[in-house]
Amino acid sequence: MMSYVLEARGIGKHFAGVQALDGVSFGLCQGAVHAVVGENGAGKSTLMKILSGVYRADAGEILLDGEVVEIADPSAAEASGIAIIHQELNLVPALSVAENVFLGREPTRFGFIDRRKIERDAGALLDRLGHRLDPRRTVESLKVSDQQVVEIAKTLSLNARVLIMDEPTTALAADDVERLFGIIRTLVSAGASVVYISHKMDELFRIADEFTVLRDGKMIGHREANETTPNDLVRMMVGREVSYTRMDVEARSGEELLRVENLSSHEIDATGRRRLTDIGFSLRTGEILGVAGLMGAGRTQLLESLFGVHETTNETRITLNGKPRTIGDPRAAIKAGIAFVPEDRKAQGLVLDMNVCDNITLARLERFTRFGFVQERREERAANEYVQRLGVRTPNTRAPTMNLSGGNQQKVVLAKWLLTSPKILLLDEPTKGIDVKGKAEIYRLIEELAASGLGIILVSSELPELLALSDRIIVLHEGAIAGTLERSEATEERIIELATIGDEETREVA
Amino acid sequence: MTLLGERRIGRVKLSQLQAFLGLIVVFILACVFSPVRRGELIFLDPGNLTDILRQVSEKGIIAVGMTFVILAGGIDLSVGSVLAFAASLSAVMLMRGGYGTPETLLAVLAAGLLIGAVNALVITKGRIQSFIVTLAMMSGARGLARLVSGGSGVEIGYGAGGAPQSFSVLGGKLGQFVPVPALIFLATVAIAWVGLNKTRFGRYVHAVGSNETASRLSGVGVDWVKFGVFSICSLLAALAGIIHCAQLEQGNPNDGVAYELDAIAAVVIGGTSLSGGTGTVVGTLVGTLIIGIINNILGLNNVDANVQLLLKGIIIIGAVLLQRRG
Repeated sequence: MMSYVLEARGIGKHFAGVQALDGVSFGLCQGAVHAVVGENGAGKSTLMKILSGVYRADAGEILLDGEVVEIADPSAAEASGIAIIHQELNLVPALSVAENVFLGREPTRFGFIDRRKIERDAGALLDRLGHRLDPRRTVESLKVSDQQVVEIAKTLSLNARVLIMDEPTTALAADDVERLFGIIRTLVSAGASVVYISHKMDELFRIADEFTVLRDGKMIGHREANETTPNDLVRMMVGREVSYTRMDVEARSGEELLRVENLSSHEIDATGRRRLTDIGFSLRTGEILGVAGLMGAGRTQLLESLFGVHETTNETRITLNGKPRTIGDPRAAIKAGIAFVPEDRKAQGLVLDMNVCDNITLARLERFTRFGFVQERREERAANEYVQRLGVRTPNTRAPTMNLSGGNQQKVVLAKWLLTSPKILLLDEPTKGIDVKGKAEIYRLIEELAASGLGIILVSSELPELLALSDRIIVLHEGAIAGTLERSEATEERIIELATIGDEETREVA
Repeated sequence: MTLLGERRIGRVKLSQLQAFLGLIVVFILACVFSPVRRGELIFLDPGNLTDILRQVSEKGIIAVGMTFVILAGGIDLSVGSVLAFAASLSAVMLMRGGYGTPETLLAVLAAGLLIGAVNALVITKGRIQSFIVTLAMMSGARGLARLVSGGSGVEIGYGAGGAPQSFSVLGGKLGQFVPVPALIFLATVAIAWVGLNKTRFGRYVHAVGSNETASRLSGVGVDWVKFGVFSICSLLAALAGIIHCAQLEQGNPNDGVAYELDAIAAVVIGGTSLSGGTGTVVGTLVGTLIIGIINNILGLNNVDANVQLLLKGIIIIGAVLLQRRG
């Protein structure tokens, strides 16, 4: 049997009742690029954070060169030669390349930083990576791919033998990806080992030697690159259970409520692509339209664009109830009958310092205002009504929202929007961080709302949830629609295929 | 934003009660350390107590305006300069312009409102932090004050060729004990309380201060709320400037230096969070009174003014530390 540089055995970790990792084992060979794949929330990031000392495992052991080690914190990981490069780079923008590489470990002369030495040493490290870059330039003046190289140089200077890379290509254009792969190959041939996390199947098969597949915090399998295919891996990634079944699966085809044509984002991301390109779809009354896609595929961007948070291009056509509309900001969206439950309840959905009643009426306070004064009794009555209708568990409407459970906080957000009598409800990960019981309640609510005639657009990373609730699912891939699946033809495999690989046919045409 | 799980008694947050507690402690200490004259505590003399109210009224009015801004998550450093500008403009209009009291009041308050509107416009449209914008206005308004006054104090004289007698009421007393500035201060607190607790605008101020993103996504006109709070703050600073002018019988463009810091101190001692969202105007009243009583008792005991400054610094830190424990 081959010996591992780094090995994890039976790793378990849970957060507040959620089992994020359960008995995961994984071994990294010397000089290999080992890809860890899985759906959003499968436990990849948690595992990497344990290996790099950010979290501590509840169960299991970590072995380095065959010896059990304790990785108590990131500096212990660093001392053991394990370095991680996060998706969000960890650099100080205003400092130079050299200063960043040696940050916190600057050699000094007479108490001053030995600038010439760090510039020389940083230059040497960059040469080893085969990358031309002036060590005196500030990091903020570099493009993202070069910043990444600075991070890699930093890990080299720490003599890292194991390099963990979390979604390193998310912000890179195609030729930069190629250069990054070149650097990775250089590192590996020099004896380093790389753990590589990514969603992008085509890239993975170009760089990885072996694969470990996680699903729901469990290890599903291990494959050598030459004995597997993207479709094989996709099959291993899916298969989550959901305990919810929809009450009526009859397609409820009402009239068209919303039509979106040629929706493109004004914003351009780091790779020079529009965040959304040429999105088109329609939504009928009573319909639940699911939106699937990987992280960064543009799901949230789509909902926020419909809600007037982001600018869209002039070609974008939005038709509401048969009439063309432009939605410039959230106020206009609310007036047009659109409601938006954002992904981050605490940062975007609620005003945590305010009580349940004040949160519920926030989006429609003018209804309870006379001559500028809030009519508290009427306000409270309405809030109470919604608290009861949605079954928010709170001592009273004057209780702070801060202390409610995730599920109940989400119901408060929903109550706020129902009070505006919307026609279209945009839901971004509505059950994120909510326990099983709370989830079932939210599902039932979503279904009831659709049955009452609302058009619902549901974004979710949990495919079983999406499959259980949606009448139709559109799959986004890199800001464009890769495919639309009717309820009858939608499966997890099909969705993941479209989301990870994109639409093969259009790809070949393009 | 407050720490998670802040303790409350009913609807009142503990940190706000703490400010009251502080006031009671300071009051008792003031009684203990008060000099005695003819068997009575000078501190408790009605004349002394109402004089404390009078002394704090200018800064108190400014602090009320500052409460709006801080609750909404901003800061206004220009208030001291606006006070100087308002005082100078009042004196100039009355003495050199020959205007009556009502016209002067209207014009000066309108000018104050305008300064606040400019602050808000630059903050919201230019997307610049309020700290920087009002720091610039602090300099700008001071310059305006010197320009209108010609650089030095403009004395107010009453009678023929001078200011109308009606203006002096603003700095005077009703009856034997009731200073008009104190009445205006208390009225300001009461109106501000209603505005912050009973109106839609007040609700939005709290919402924007504690979570601007969630507020914007709920359709709250965040820019309008900011416009409102900065306008109110400058308006009240101008009102304080008018009272300042009436009390000193002079409009001096060099007055009001560092008043913004005293106002911020009063707001913070009163339990309002500098990061916005939580706090009350009653707390600001309490904070203002705490500072006023301490200054008074130190003065009664002839403590060196420099030592007073030092003690004030210690008290601000002490008050905030106390609140954090709550």
